[in-house]
Amino acid sequence: MEKRIFDNPADPSLDRVDGRVKVTGKATYSAEYAVPNLAHAVLVTSTIAKGVITGIDAEKANSAPGVLAVISHLNAPKVPGWGSAAQPAERAPIGTSFRVFYDHFVYFDGQPVAMVVADTHERAVYAASLLKITYQSEKHRTHFEANVQQAIVPLNVQRNKTSPFADYDRGEKGQVEAHIEAEYTIPTQHHQPMEPHAIVAVWEAEDKLTVYDKNQGVKSAQGQLAQAFKIPRENVRVIAKYIGGAFGSGIRVWPHTIAAVLAAKHVGRPVKLVLGREQMFTSVGYRPYTVQKLTIGASKNGKLTSITHEGIGQTSAYEEHLERTILASRSLYACPHVSTRYRLLSLDVNTPTWMRGPGDATGMFALESAMDEMAFALNIDPLDFRIKNYAELDQERNLPWSAKSLKECYVLGAEKFGWKNRKLEPKSMQKDGVLVGYGMASSLYGFHRHPSKARAVMQADGSVIVQSATMDIGPGTGTAMTRIAAKVLGIHAKMVRFDLGDSALPDAPGQNGSSTIPSVGSAVHDVCVALRDRLIEMAFEMPGFATKEKSQVVVRNGQVLASMADTNGVSFGDILKHHHRNELEISAESKSGPERDQYSMYSFGCHFVEVEVSPFTGEVHVTRVVTCADVGTIINYKTARSQSIGGIVGGIGMALMEESAMDHRYGRYVTSDFSSYHIPVHADIPPIEVYYIDKPDVHVNPIGSKGLGEIAIVGVAAAVANAVFHATGKRIRQLPITPDKLI
Amino acid sequence: MANDHPDDQKDDMHDPAHEDRRFFLKQSVAFAGLSLAAPHWPLAGTDPDDVPIGNAEKVKLSLTINGAKKRLTVDPRMTLLDVLRENLGLNGTKKGCDFGQCGACTVHVNGQRTLSCLTFAVMQHSRKVETVESLAKGKVLHPLQEAFIKHDGFQCGYCTPGQLMSAVSCIREGQAGSAQEVREYMSGNLCRCGAYPNIVDAILEVKSKGLKV
Amino acid sequence: MKPFQYLRPKTIREAISMAAEDPDARYIAGGTNLIDLMKRGIVSPSKLIDINHLPLKKIEHKGDRIHIGALALNSEVAQNKLVTVRQPLLVKALLAGASGQLRNMATVGGNLLQRTRCSYFYDTALPCNKREPGSGCSAKEGINRTHAIFFYGNETPSCIAVHPSDMCVALAALDTAVVVTGPNGERRLMMKDLHRLSTAQPELDTYLAPGELITSIEVLDNVFDKHNHYLKVRDRASYAFALVSVAAALRMEEGKIWDARVALGGVAHKPWRYWAIELMLKGKEPSEALFREVADHELKSATASGQNAFKIKMTSNAIVAALKTAAGIS
Repeated sequence: MEKRIFDNPADPSLDRVDGRVKVTGKATYSAEYAVPNLAHAVLVTSTIAKGVITGIDAEKANSAPGVLAVISHLNAPKVPGWGSAAQPAERAPIGTSFRVFYDHFVYFDGQPVAMVVADTHERAVYAASLLKITYQSEKHRTHFEANVQQAIVPLNVQRNKTSPFADYDRGEKGQVEAHIEAEYTIPTQHHQPMEPHAIVAVWEAEDKLTVYDKNQGVKSAQGQLAQAFKIPRENVRVIAKYIGGAFGSGIRVWPHTIAAVLAAKHVGRPVKLVLGREQMFTSVGYRPYTVQKLTIGASKNGKLTSITHEGIGQTSAYEEHLERTILASRSLYACPHVSTRYRLLSLDVNTPTWMRGPGDATGMFALESAMDEMAFALNIDPLDFRIKNYAELDQERNLPWSAKSLKECYVLGAEKFGWKNRKLEPKSMQKDGVLVGYGMASSLYGFHRHPSKARAVMQADGSVIVQSATMDIGPGTGTAMTRIAAKVLGIHAKMVRFDLGDSALPDAPGQNGSSTIPSVGSAVHDVCVALRDRLIEMAFEMPGFATKEKSQVVVRNGQVLASMADTNGVSFGDILKHHHRNELEISAESKSGPERDQYSMYSFGCHFVEVEVSPFTGEVHVTRVVTCADVGTIINYKTARSQSIGGIVGGIGMALMEESAMDHRYGRYVTSDFSSYHIPVHADIPPIEVYYIDKPDVHVNPIGSKGLGEIAIVGVAAAVANAVFHATGKRIRQLPITPDKLI
Repeated sequence: MANDHPDDQKDDMHDPAHEDRRFFLKQSVAFAGLSLAAPHWPLAGTDPDDVPIGNAEKVKLSLTINGAKKRLTVDPRMTLLDVLRENLGLNGTKKGCDFGQCGACTVHVNGQRTLSCLTFAVMQHSRKVETVESLAKGKVLHPLQEAFIKHDGFQCGYCTPGQLMSAVSCIREGQAGSAQEVREYMSGNLCRCGAYPNIVDAILEVKSKGLKV
Repeated sequence: MKPFQYLRPKTIREAISMAAEDPDARYIAGGTNLIDLMKRGIVSPSKLIDINHLPLKKIEHKGDRIHIGALALNSEVAQNKLVTVRQPLLVKALLAGASGQLRNMATVGGNLLQRTRCSYFYDTALPCNKREPGSGCSAKEGINRTHAIFFYGNETPSCIAVHPSDMCVALAALDTAVVVTGPNGERRLMMKDLHRLSTAQPELDTYLAPGELITSIEVLDNVFDKHNHYLKVRDRASYAFALVSVAAALRMEEGKIWDARVALGGVAHKPWRYWAIELMLKGKEPSEALFREVADHELKSATASGQNAFKIKMTSNAIVAALKTAAGIS
């Protein structure tokens, strides 16, 4: 595949294919499906962190106007997939997904304990306020530092010794002439997409369910709902065509979804549930509070001799959530001796989940901060230090990289940023009375490709409908897939329609782990290649074509042409017409092969950040960012660039302001809205320059493209923290870097 | 923890500063003769064009929505946002936080950008409300809609209607003179996907072209 | 939300009699805080008296002051020529607050009466003396990073929440009277006499009597138009409440400070006029050293509750920075 196969002057980026519906307000999000006879549900959540529900006084609520039902563990319909109906005497053992309205146990503050359903939203909300729930509290543990001694090797790892999260040691410690040791903390952070999670649940028949649910994987939601309600998979339809952001919050089917489905069953009407913003803090997971210790040894000339990376992440009392926190330290740099340890601390909180750049955004904050500290200790430029320790192969797996242009990223990013103007000494650059700092960090994210199916249906007019049950939580899936289809079939993008977000479509993975383009993009590529080849075969069955040389044939402008030079071929429409076909349908499945065992596959990148820090107020303003990534082929530069910018914005939030604060006396979040949980606003975000190496990685998949969504945020927080150190001489190891930490 | 000057912040003390006297020497007058006659608020029978009327769960009112006059009966607890979305099917206006902290619900009321989640519909009786659905004229998109598409000023699209309505106001209010000014005056519209730089580019382009918004 | 009766009076008198009828009735103007409180079940009025149609929007200059109607929107005040020319500090404070949309909705009267943003006040599941007198102050030993450092006298505060307004900080620094009308007629309060400290009755934010309605404010003319600054320190660059804010205004002649006004936001239960500083600055030549000296003076009396200890230094720094900008020294 040649360089810049997609974006070049002759073939510029597509505008978002769903741009028009989104700017006109016509895109339909989950809560917006107009279903007849819709009832409105409101979730009521626990106000204690651990204990049992001793009573639910629903009398007033039940008699409030318009109320259809008050549902709780006392009267909820059974979920057949959860087994016995008897009230369990014991708390669920760890490894049990939370079962909503199942029993009287409270596992975390903000746990759904009841639901009020009424004919209008206003009435449901009011009735919910009349509900009186009593509890018997037990002593809860939510404070990370106070309980950290109880962190353990995850049970998951204890059972599975080959787990990547098992203790890892490689090599011998070389000569340590310089040494740093530091502890880094990231607080709990929440995805908080602009669209709150919402569902409209409709029981079409006793065993037939349709849900319009905000999630990141219609097929996995379909499977989980079918399993829970013990109905055939094909009887569950999950629709999520437009999703107002998710960033990981929609990867699982959460309790509120089950609750709404139960409520719809209970009242015998379709039910709509929209989570309140405060409920978004306890209902859909979060990036877990994590403490990490990094020890780095190096020789005087700047060669790494040892990296020890220990990470302890928070999880709930009923489930383990593991993430890649310590894994990058094994692969990113050349280092003879690497040790990693990963532990989990169970607390009385809800289960964390994957949030953009899961694990790596956390781990790379620590590793890339520590690398900066080591460079400072060695009096070496932080970028030079990284280049000195460039890993030419993956030492963890002892495999070559499928492709790695990180060095090119470093060079290009540094040049565009003007890194050479950086003075080595911290606190040495000032402008108009403010401190200026330059910081950088590397980025990586593992390559994920899952088996995916796609269907392509050529229409009589030569247009094509391509379908796959993939998702678009914002990156522009439909746009990228349209681009791939149009390119392979040699047709204008306007002749392609891409359908997604419906479990009735061909199997595809959920949108997570930056796997959509690698997985579904490959399936779309393959199905369009198959369609193209079938059209060529059909053309050869037509008079005048049989004599041509098959290897010379090309498709262009919706035609099969005998050769590149041919200008007068046969149109796809005419091919179908000749064969008396109204349409031509092809399906394909695409998946990884043996290359996964032959190469180590990652996306790579780096970020360069300039900050200004007020010496009086401690306020940090990011004033410039340059980011550069090597993610293989860029399918659509315009939307890819936006995804990179979005990752930087998320990283700036992570670095400077995002923190879900809990009052541990109550085990309850004090941050419960956008006024107390800050995410960046327009005024926080400077111009961001984005560059790509844009060379296909020929080993990963037929389109040579790797994931971009996660790598966009990985390392950003460290780059900001490193810039703050350079500006102020203060090393902040506990995020977020709020003004109080700098005055 | 003591305040050295108890007079200063405490309220029941006599005023310490000379300025206070300037006020009180001149201005101390009582609003005499205020009648405490029986209240006479409207309960029923009045023209709905004049005052919204009804009981605690149903009130009649009229609103001009995107140029069309609508007569509605609503629960007075309904915000303008909920009336738009639930009663009128105008789902373009989004509910992001419901507490005036995100800007996704931004609409224009009598031409001014307003958070529709923080106002009861009854309070807007007889006013003109414009939503994102009013921007395009038939198939012709508003210049800002075109610019948002061109500059990719959104990803998931959920904050987009609010960003657009706010952007229109930002230009109309004369607050789009520079990137910095746009960023400040658009800061009431959160975008979690992080489309901010592209939104700023879109607004500046429309502004610099002098297109009518 | 509890059902309520919606009322729309035509005159001030009618509004006041409506309020006098029912202690659970509430006036509503912009609604940007009250509706928030109603949605969360913190305030549950039986009647909502919509005062938006009363003739209280006028902004005019009469005699030695600007009269600003209580229903003038924050954005209208910030754009009004009389205000931008005569009271630029007020404009700066207004524009530092909230967002374009909220400033289009929030009124002057409502801004004066907006309630604290303490998270515990907004969470009905947790104790809060302001919401439920006697239940305790969760913030004192809880998450109190944004809470108050200035209190009155030696009394133990029953609430350590801060007043959230920016506008009020400027009004406290300037000389402002608040005109209110109630069943017993009209009266004027100085800005400093409007808001309460938190000692005895933390549930009350102001000294307004039940049913009283703010009808206007009056800002006295001054000579601070050349040397003033509103500095707001916050966790993000815009659309956030202040950690600390400083309204600083100086009258400078021949290189000396002749008169000074300093008020602080984000540090106390009410906008905190810094009287001591004003006296100390008079007659002095501006310098960073002088500003630091005066800034630190009253901060000796500041008290931290734990997480907000940084505010003491931050306040001092912010005062210095604001005064430097106001004085025009770098």
